[in-house]
Amino acid sequence: MKKDEGFSEEQVNAFVDGELDPEETSRLYNHAARSEELDQRLCQHRKMKELVKHAYDNVPEPRRSPRAPLGGGSFFGRAFAAGVLLAVGLGTGMLVHNYFDQNPAGNVPLVGESVAEVNNYLLHVTSSDPEQMYAALQHAEALLEAAADGEQRRVEIVANEKGLDLLRLDVTPYAREINALQENDVVFYACSRTIERLKESGVQVELVPHTNADYTALDRVVTRMQEGWKYEKI
Amino acid sequence: MAVSSMFGISERRAFRKLVSNSRDRLYRMAYAWTHNPHLADDIVQQTLCKALSNQRQLRDPGAAEAWLFRIMSNCLKDYHRAKREVLTDDDLVIVDDTTPEHETEEQQLVSSVRRAVQKLPLPQCQVITLVDLEGFTYARVSEILEIPVGTVMSRLCRGRRALKEFLIEVRPQLDEGRTTKLTRVK
Repeated sequence: MKKDEGFSEEQVNAFVDGELDPEETSRLYNHAARSEELDQRLCQHRKMKELVKHAYDNVPEPRRSPRAPLGGGSFFGRAFAAGVLLAVGLGTGMLVHNYFDQNPAGNVPLVGESVAEVNNYLLHVTSSDPEQMYAALQHAEALLEAAADGEQRRVEIVANEKGLDLLRLDVTPYAREINALQENDVVFYACSRTIERLKESGVQVELVPHTNADYTALDRVVTRMQEGWKYEKI
Repeated sequence: MAVSSMFGISERRAFRKLVSNSRDRLYRMAYAWTHNPHLADDIVQQTLCKALSNQRQLRDPGAAEAWLFRIMSNCLKDYHRAKREVLTDDDLVIVDDTTPEHETEEQQLVSSVRRAVQKLPLPQCQVITLVDLEGFTYARVSEILEIPVGTVMSRLCRGRRALKEFLIEVRPQLDEGRTTKLTRVK
């Protein structure tokens, strides 16, 4: 058996990654047939590559709060119930994947295209600054007022990180304003993950009544954006 | 063709399908880069948000996958930058509490490889996982990470060398003689 004739590490990597041209690949195979050392290097590199791939075949999923069943009764406002009805079959997150798989031809219009493409808004609050919180509430109100006659505009507010203070009953200065907006069908979401983290650190979290806490903020944002809603971070 | 006309309803539908279908793969990659399920999930969702809101920036639909991974790489950079500036409640690291005593041999193998990958500097980890998990070509990895192909190759070399050393420490049999002769397979 010959030595490996000085093939560089780059060449060996390129070989196992299929990056060499056919001529160079043949040259390496031929040398490997005569050189135990080179053959061993190539095997070892392939083994490493396979090990890395194998190690991430099944990765742990993030812990998520259990989600309420779709159309979760009186807990949700009417606007959300309507949204949920539209979203049946879509669901959120990974369920969107199934939807597309089941509708490869795309014959069923996407929710966002048929209904919500232009006029629905999701506002995202991440700050505990009272002025910013108030700005978000005012903006939601303004959006509703700006809707044209007969237009069914929907507005949702999602809060996470420090912005969760907006929806914490013992912290928010704006419970009354929130309630007024809820009466006008604005739906509020408190990030389930932020709540989880606060609870883990020993903080009791009590939310303003009728706040939805079944989703992470980002899940909500992604879902609504996929449905064509306008997104504004406050 | 104007970019705006590339994104009619059918294109938007195709794009959203691509984005949705890529979610699992993006998550696996984000997990390999962070080894933190919560953080990986956040990074993927930020990636999807950005992709959906910036879809008009994608000029070549054939490069959409690489574009998504590039966005994700940038989201991770942003996360590390922000983390250096301020640590919020949502940055708490969730540690996998599995211990070696509770693992089967198979799980031990997986854990030791993941630990080895985790020890690599992020740039090396990213190159190795993009090549090994997704099978991206060096040229694609170069686009995704916005680095020259030569840098991809050198990071791959350094990363695999380090990985081998880590793994040999915990699994010396990796360095033992070969078990199969390399043969060309069609």
